[in-house]
Amino acid sequence: MGIKLKNLYDEVGREKGPVGRMQLAMLTKITSFEALDCEDSPQNLKVVEDAIAQLRRQP
Amino acid sequence: MNISTKLVGLSLGTVVVVGGLAATLVGELKSLSASYNDLLQGPVREAEAARVTQVDFKKQVQEWKDILLRGQNPDDLVKYAKQFHEQEAKVKAEAQTLAGTVRDPAAKQSLNDFLTADDTLSKKYQIAYDVYVTEKFDFKAADRIVRGQDRAPTDLFDKVVAQLNGRVAAQAAAQQAEAIRQRNTALIVSGALLVLISVVGFIVVRGVLTRLGRLRAVSDRLAKADVQGLSIDISGNDEIGEFGESLKSVAAAIRELLGAASH
Repeated sequence: MGIKLKNLYDEVGREKGPVGRMQLAMLTKITSFEALDCEDSPQNLKVVEDAIAQLRRQP
Repeated sequence: MNISTKLVGLSLGTVVVVGGLAATLVGELKSLSASYNDLLQGPVREAEAARVTQVDFKKQVQEWKDILLRGQNPDDLVKYAKQFHEQEAKVKAEAQTLAGTVRDPAAKQSLNDFLTADDTLSKKYQIAYDVYVTEKFDFKAADRIVRGQDRAPTDLFDKVVAQLNGRVAAQAAAQQAEAIRQRNTALIVSGALLVLISVVGFIVVRGVLTRLGRLRAVSDRLAKADVQGLSIDISGNDEIGEFGESLKSVAAAIRELLGAASH
C-alpha cells in the first residue's frame, strides 16, 4: 500500500493546493487517489520526491 | 530515433542511392563510349583503309590495260606507264602500312600473302611491259604474260577486306550485346533500389501513421475527459513518444481533477 506516497501527495496539497496536486499527478502520471494502490517502493518514492522537488523549484 | 531523423535519413539515402546510380550509369556510358571509340579508331579505320587499297589495286590493273590499249602513242605510253607505276607504288605502300598496323592475325597473314603475290605480279608486269615495248606494242604478247595473273592478289585482298569487315561486325555485335547487358543491369539495379526505397519509406510512413492514429484516439477521449480505463500505450524515443508522455500527464491531471471533484 502507498501510505508514504499518499502522504507526499497530501503534503503537496497542503503546500500548493489542488493545483499543486494536479501538477504532481501530471509529473508522476499517478493521481493522489491512485497513490494508495501503488507500492511504497524506493523507485516510486523517488519519482514522487523528484517531482515534488521540481514543483517546489517553480515560482 | 526521431521521426525527423528518420525522414532526413530516408531522403539522404534516396539522394545517395540515386546519385550513386547516376554516377554508375555515367561511368558505364563513358566506358561504352570509349569502347566505340576504340572500334572506330581500330577495326573500322583498318577496314576503311583496306577498302581504299582494294580500289587502288583495281585502278592499278586498269592503268595496265590503258598501257596496252593506248601505249602505241609514245606520249600515252609515258603517261599511262607513269600512272601505272605510281598506282603500283601506292598500292604496295598502303598494303605494307596496313600489314604493319592491322591487329587481326588472319588479316595480317592475308596482307603478307597479298604483298608476296603483288611482288610476283609486278615482276610479270615489268616483263610484259618490256615485251610490249620491244615487240612494237604487241599487246597480245604482253597480255599473255600477265593474263589472269591479277586474280590471286585480287582474291587475297578481297579476303583481307572481308576479314576486316567481319572483325568490325563481330566487335560491333559484341559491343551491342555489352550495351544491352549494361542497360538490363541498370534497369534491374534501379528497379531493386526503387523497390527497396519504397519498402523502407512505406514501413517508416506506416509506423508513423499508425502511432499518430493511436495518439488521435487518445486525444479524442481526453477531449471528452473520458479517462476511465484509458490506457496510453504510445512509447518510443521520438516526437510521437514524447507526445504520448504529454498525453499521459494530461490524463493524470484529468483523473486527479475528476477524483477531487468526486470526493
